[in-house]
Amino acid sequence: MLSRTASSFFRRSATRCMSTEAATAVKLNFCLPQETLYKGASVHSVILPGMGGEYGITANHVPYVSQLKPGVVKILHEEGSADPEKYFVAGGYALTHPDSTTDVICPEAVKLDDIDPSEVAKKYDAARTKFSSAAAGSIEQAEAQIEMEITKEMGMAIGVSLN
Amino acid sequence: MSSTPVTTFWRVAGMSYLQYINKTAGTMRSVLKEPAKTRAMAQEAYGYNAAVWEAGKQGPKLPVANIQQAGK
Repeated sequence: MLSRTASSFFRRSATRCMSTEAATAVKLNFCLPQETLYKGASVHSVILPGMGGEYGITANHVPYVSQLKPGVVKILHEEGSADPEKYFVAGGYALTHPDSTTDVICPEAVKLDDIDPSEVAKKYDAARTKFSSAAAGSIEQAEAQIEMEITKEMGMAIGVSLN
Repeated sequence: MSSTPVTTFWRVAGMSYLQYINKTAGTMRSVLKEPAKTRAMAQEAYGYNAAVWEAGKQGPKLPVANIQQAGK
C-alpha cells in the first residue's frame, strides 16, 4: 500500500516537471541587480562561463545550475549566428529550468567595447605586485589574486595578453 | 591527509562569497571606459542618513558625512 502511493506520487510529480511539448528556443532572463538586460527573450542558445568550464544551453537542455566565473556570456539570437552578442560578466549564477528558461544572474555585466585595455593591463600589473608583496594566506593576497584573475580574464576577452 | 585546502582561495583567506563577488565586480568597474565607468561606479556609491529622536518624535532625516558623525 505504501509503495503504491510512493510510486504514483513520483510518477505524478515527474509528469508535472516535464512539459508536454518540447521547447523550440531558450527563454533568456539575464539580470543584474541594477537593471534587466533580457526578460523572457527567445534566443537560440547561450554560452556561459561556468566554474567547471564554458558550456552552452540550447532548447531542451537538461536542467542545470552553475556558478559562473568571470568571463564572457555569448548570446546567439539565431541559429548559426556569426556574431553572438557578448557581455563580460564578473561572476554570478546561471540556472536552466526543465522548460528551457535560463536565468543568468550577475552582479555586473558590460559590453566588451566598454573595457579599457590600458586600464586592464595597469590593474593587472599593480595586482601582481600586490600579490607578491602580500603575506601568504592574507586577505590582501586573496584580494590581489581576485584582481589578477578578473583582469586576466578581461584581457583574454578583449585580446590583450597578460601574464 | 594532505594539507591542500578543499575550498576556494578566498574562503581560505577568510572572505565570504559576497565579499568575493563584490571585489570582482568592483575591479571590473574600475577598468571600464567612460561613460560606462561613471554609470557603473554609481553602483558602488553609498551614503548614510541619520534622524535624531526627541521626546518620542523623529526629527528630520539628514545626510551624514560618515558613520562616525552619525552618533553626534
